[in-house]
Amino acid sequence: MKKVIDVKNLSFKYADEYVLKAVNFSINEGEFVLLTGGSGEGKSTLIYLLSGIIPNLIYGEASGEIDINDRNIINKKVSEICIDVGIVLQNADNQIIEKYVEDELAFGGENLGLKKETIEQKISLISKIFKLDRKAVCRKLSGGQKQKLITGSTLLMGQKIIILDEPLANLDEESSIDLMRILLSLTKKGFTVIVAEHRIDLIKPYVSKILKIENKSVIEMDISTYNQEEIKRIIINDINQKHCKNPIFSFKDINYSVKDKTILSNLSFDIYQGERALLLGENGIGKTTLMRVIAKLNKVKSGYVSYLKDGEKTLNKPDKKWFKKVGVIYQNPNYQLFMKTVKDEIYFNAFNKDYADYIIKLFSLEKLCDRHPQSLSEGQKRKVTIATILAMKPEVLLLDEPTVGQDYNSLKKLVEILNKIHEETGNTMITITHDKRCAEALCDRALLLKKADFLIEGDKSLVKEYFRY
Amino acid sequence: MRNFLTYKYNNLYPLLAILTGLTIVIFGLVYAQHYECTYFLVAVYLLSFLFINYKTCLKGLIFLAIFGSFFFLFTYLSSSSIDQSVFMVNRIASFTVGMLPGMSVGAERLTRNLSQIRMPRGMVIGLLIVFSFMPTLTEEIKRIKEAMKTRGSYNILNPKVLYRAFLIPFITRIVDISDTLSLSIETRGFDLKSKNYTIYRKEYLTIYDVLFLLAIIAIIVLVTVL
Repeated sequence: MKKVIDVKNLSFKYADEYVLKAVNFSINEGEFVLLTGGSGEGKSTLIYLLSGIIPNLIYGEASGEIDINDRNIINKKVSEICIDVGIVLQNADNQIIEKYVEDELAFGGENLGLKKETIEQKISLISKIFKLDRKAVCRKLSGGQKQKLITGSTLLMGQKIIILDEPLANLDEESSIDLMRILLSLTKKGFTVIVAEHRIDLIKPYVSKILKIENKSVIEMDISTYNQEEIKRIIINDINQKHCKNPIFSFKDINYSVKDKTILSNLSFDIYQGERALLLGENGIGKTTLMRVIAKLNKVKSGYVSYLKDGEKTLNKPDKKWFKKVGVIYQNPNYQLFMKTVKDEIYFNAFNKDYADYIIKLFSLEKLCDRHPQSLSEGQKRKVTIATILAMKPEVLLLDEPTVGQDYNSLKKLVEILNKIHEETGNTMITITHDKRCAEALCDRALLLKKADFLIEGDKSLVKEYFRY
Repeated sequence: MRNFLTYKYNNLYPLLAILTGLTIVIFGLVYAQHYECTYFLVAVYLLSFLFINYKTCLKGLIFLAIFGSFFFLFTYLSSSSIDQSVFMVNRIASFTVGMLPGMSVGAERLTRNLSQIRMPRGMVIGLLIVFSFMPTLTEEIKRIKEAMKTRGSYNILNPKVLYRAFLIPFITRIVDISDTLSLSIETRGFDLKSKNYTIYRKEYLTIYDVLFLLAIIAIIVLVTVL
């Protein structure tokens, strides 16, 4: 089979520190490759090298050879490389340039000079496959829908080599499987696909080769025996904390809409004190909106009652005291970090200094304490954000996709910490996740948002049913 | 053919909308010291209701009511002349009415139209980013203010809080967005510098654009001749 990527003796260093050293590997036409490794091991760096982003747009010292279709691309311009290589970067939210979905999808195809009819055909196909409304306004899409949009925009360009950096982040189970099937079908048509992902459980059944980055080098792994552990569900022993049947939040016929679009309609349910509730549903269904309603970040006109403060049944604006009791962890950690060091960040508004130290120890953040939070990797930033909110010892913890960007060990540890704190403090925990490996371990009761006006309540069996365990 | 009654607003040909707007502003400023200018602006404003989204027109009216009143009063107090005060309002109104056609055109349609006339691609995308950055900025400010609250930082007027909890995340986000955006644009082939890029959706002149232009010219001729 034809070798499309051939990496010979590739090294790369930022400042004086090597990220990759004397890396050698090759990828053949039609292969579906999983690029794996721990957080911060250099997966994105390798992807940037393969697409020419390094050293063209991100500086550093690269040596060795990267041959794509028998042409060394080191020191070639990104625009030259992108004719052969399509790349989907992380953080879809930051990459959208156009106002409407169809224009965003068309952008790459326009630049490559594809025929108008071809662009039109591909837009129809991609928007159908990814369930995107082609007339929708991009900024109004959910995190998962934006991810689909950026992936679709690259697929439309039609390069024969496609590289995707964590494309499953924020995607629901069904969309993830759909994407994997699409990529698999492309490989059968001669396309070569490389995916860097932590969600090995979802991707492993489709790939033909696994490359692991470890200790600055790339090793080819045996698929049949590769880390069976990482595809398993995380099993947590029964939590000692018994939640009571007193509601801490009650919702009666709540409605929420933005302009003409109804997001939540006549929903009624309770959240009970001390429970671990899991919010499920497909991309764009309104889970984050619902969580924001609970946190009073989105306002509903009526039907919302919080019993959090003694005897309070209120629709008042959330104040400082409210957010001491209700800890909100955003999907994007960059919004919530602003202190000079990780230690200052966790100490800021912490319950007390001793408790902050305890949280630092639990998350094993001692080594990062003096680092600037913005200098951390995305996975580390997320961990620090969760630690800062936990250090406030809130009575209610709202977690929006807390596990994105975490490798399996970090994921397992995070779930254990969340459950440990839950057990110790008796907090009420409401989590949104698409990661089936940890869903059950974070759940006493599941709320499945099927439609704007249809919510199913259930126990762990609903989680099993939803994720088809 | 589109029916006039079901004619979708926002559909003026973008370049025509901008040029017409400029004509209105220039004509209004040149004739500002005549009462005929007021008739001209009223006529164009009423005409705008037929071709431009009424919400845009009403926004313009509110803007004019506020700033027009202020400048009318200011001029009257300093010159004690009703005429001069009206002429000052004419100038403000020229800008307001002149902006209406441009305001009715989305940034994406304008940039598409500029691509059609083969304006350099770098400038077109630059414009598109500038236009699309405003709503992004507004949204980012809103999200950061919310995130501040969730971390217990409430007093944005406190310089220390403003710097730490607002400005730092804000600047980080802006840098982050612009860095990722530039990577995304380059990797999606924008820098190919090929003159053969495709314009997926083109803008076309329609009979309504011609009618709008003719009506504006007719008003100008009438005001000038009469």
